[in-house]
Amino acid sequence: MPSAKKSSSRASILGAAALLTLLLGAAQTALAQNKAPIKIGAISSLTGAAVFPESSQAAKAVFDRVNAAGGIGGRMIEYISEDDKFDPAGASQAARRLIDDEGVVALAGSASPIECNVNAAFYAQRSVLSVSGVGIDTKCFTSANIAPVNVGPYSEAAAAMYYASNTLKRGKVCFVGNANPAQNAGYDGAVARWEKLSGQKLALLDRTLRPGDDLTPTLLKVQRAGCEAVIFSGVEPQVVAWMNAASTQKIKGIDFIMLSAAYTDRLAKALGNVGNGMYAISAFEPFSGSAGTLTDWHTLMNASKVPLNSFSQAGYVAANVMVDALKKVKGEITRQSVTAALRGLKNYRSPLMGSAYTFGSGANNPNQSVKIVRLRGGQWVTVNTTWLRLPAAGQ
Amino acid sequence: MLQSALAGLAAGGAYALLGACVVLLYRMVGVLNFSTAAVGAFGAYASLEFLDLGWPYWVAALGGIAVGTLLSGGIGWVMSRWFFEVSVGVRSTVTIALLIGLLGLAHRAFGDAPKAVPSAFPGASLDLGVTISSDALLALGLATALALGVGAFLNRTLLGVQLRALSERPTTAELLGIPARRLSLLVWLFGGAAATVAVLVIAPTRPADFSSLSFLVLPAMAAALLGLFQNFTATLLGGVAVGLLEGLATYFDAVSPYRSVLPFVMVLLALLWTQRGEVWDAAR
Repeated sequence: MPSAKKSSSRASILGAAALLTLLLGAAQTALAQNKAPIKIGAISSLTGAAVFPESSQAAKAVFDRVNAAGGIGGRMIEYISEDDKFDPAGASQAARRLIDDEGVVALAGSASPIECNVNAAFYAQRSVLSVSGVGIDTKCFTSANIAPVNVGPYSEAAAAMYYASNTLKRGKVCFVGNANPAQNAGYDGAVARWEKLSGQKLALLDRTLRPGDDLTPTLLKVQRAGCEAVIFSGVEPQVVAWMNAASTQKIKGIDFIMLSAAYTDRLAKALGNVGNGMYAISAFEPFSGSAGTLTDWHTLMNASKVPLNSFSQAGYVAANVMVDALKKVKGEITRQSVTAALRGLKNYRSPLMGSAYTFGSGANNPNQSVKIVRLRGGQWVTVNTTWLRLPAAGQ
Repeated sequence: MLQSALAGLAAGGAYALLGACVVLLYRMVGVLNFSTAAVGAFGAYASLEFLDLGWPYWVAALGGIAVGTLLSGGIGWVMSRWFFEVSVGVRSTVTIALLIGLLGLAHRAFGDAPKAVPSAFPGASLDLGVTISSDALLALGLATALALGVGAFLNRTLLGVQLRALSERPTTAELLGIPARRLSLLVWLFGGAAATVAVLVIAPTRPADFSSLSFLVLPAMAAALLGLFQNFTATLLGGVAVGLLEGLATYFDAVSPYRSVLPFVMVLLALLWTQRGEVWDAAR
């Protein structure tokens, strides 16, 4: 008997030890899981023909601040910013690295002219959402898995035309832009939307420019068509050449309205007085203004040495959307729960944005409000202090 | 319609001037230099940096021309050192690699901020119903001067004849006692200066980003091809014709979207015309 008793007590000790190890192990993994960082990705054009580094830099500043304050429920945010090199193959590789290798729960603050087109289908396949900072190509605004915080060139173009016809009361509105087949559908949609809203037709539509083209012949065409307002969707060097050509040809009485790509300090500096009177669209509270709503963004960007422009505003807004969604997650933070939290954001307001942010399950282009800025003596001046909200077509 | 065509005069002057630079190097050292405009743009961008330092325009321009000259000299040194004996095809291909290298280097060195390139004679212009800026006129004038001057130099002076010999048979020229390498380096230096002047004059009238300026070499080559890379006058006229045609094309909506391929249509027609007498086998 004693031996039997001995063996049973040994068995119970062994059992208790096994149980203890198991419990300890479980506790350890639970602890490790709690401490493992929450991985958020971004894909931007950081090197290449055109670069957009400020959005992800600003997003990183927001996440760093959250981490410094203790993270999300004790878990740090690890922000992984990838470079697509303005190259579709690079964008595709970056997405696979982030989603398959790193296992990010979502993306925030991406800024690239090609990334959405390349990766929208992959995001849908992997059920990952991207709170894009600067969406440019058409897919950024037609995918259920991407919802940019910026207005985007197409809604901006529609807003610019709407401003020309409804606020400036210009009868002959014209549109001049680059020949880029990837953007045709977007701009065609914008023109159709504006025509419905205003009941007007464009007096001239010329989307045949190429980046290095001499712009004087096109400017003459604008003059011939009797344009009273011209929406010009060119990039910065083209805007400089366009305004220079207009000044050489002594063109007066035409309002030139540029999209937000032209709303930069360096363009204001390059143009100086030649740009006097030129309008541009701001997708956020104009960064050159002094609105109180800019204070937090201003302070954070200065502290993190990120340039003050609309791209860093975009990254700041996108990262804040993400942080607030993460805070709403109940239970474990996974790709699924973050997706649910983002989709559940109802009427999310950012002080820098005129529209509410929502992440629907259809096409997403939540930011539909712009402000107008104007160049005066090499300085940007905010024209309208209230948001110009673009009505949906048919309203 | 005439206005639209005349508006292309500025572009025409640019193509003619850069085309003359291309022909210059081809006739003198036997290289079809694809990096001509990129070297010029590099020099021009350097002068913009000097302007930012507060230098007066003409000093900054001279500084930029010096940079372009030295850069071209460096390329010439590499060419005469490593690619002296190789065929025209190989030498020309090397310049394509240089073009790509320069695009990357310039992006690093100068960034991608938009630049406003000041005009050499601001405010001056000619009104022909469409205003032709002083820069465009200067480009046309310089192209003419370069074409006539270099043409006469090559045909009428001993040095010119030596240079022609050098471009066609470098080794034979060297054996005949022509200081081939030194001469070719001299030509490269001059080519760099000319290209920088060209881009400095062209840039105020066009979107002045580095890659757009660098790729002006393509219509310029079309202009040069109209002169079969030999004839300066034909290059000059070809460049102006390409510019006028591009301007005119914006007037017609049906051809307007395709205006950037027009130079190549012109080249094709010119080639068909110049080769019209050739028998197929002999022409190959």
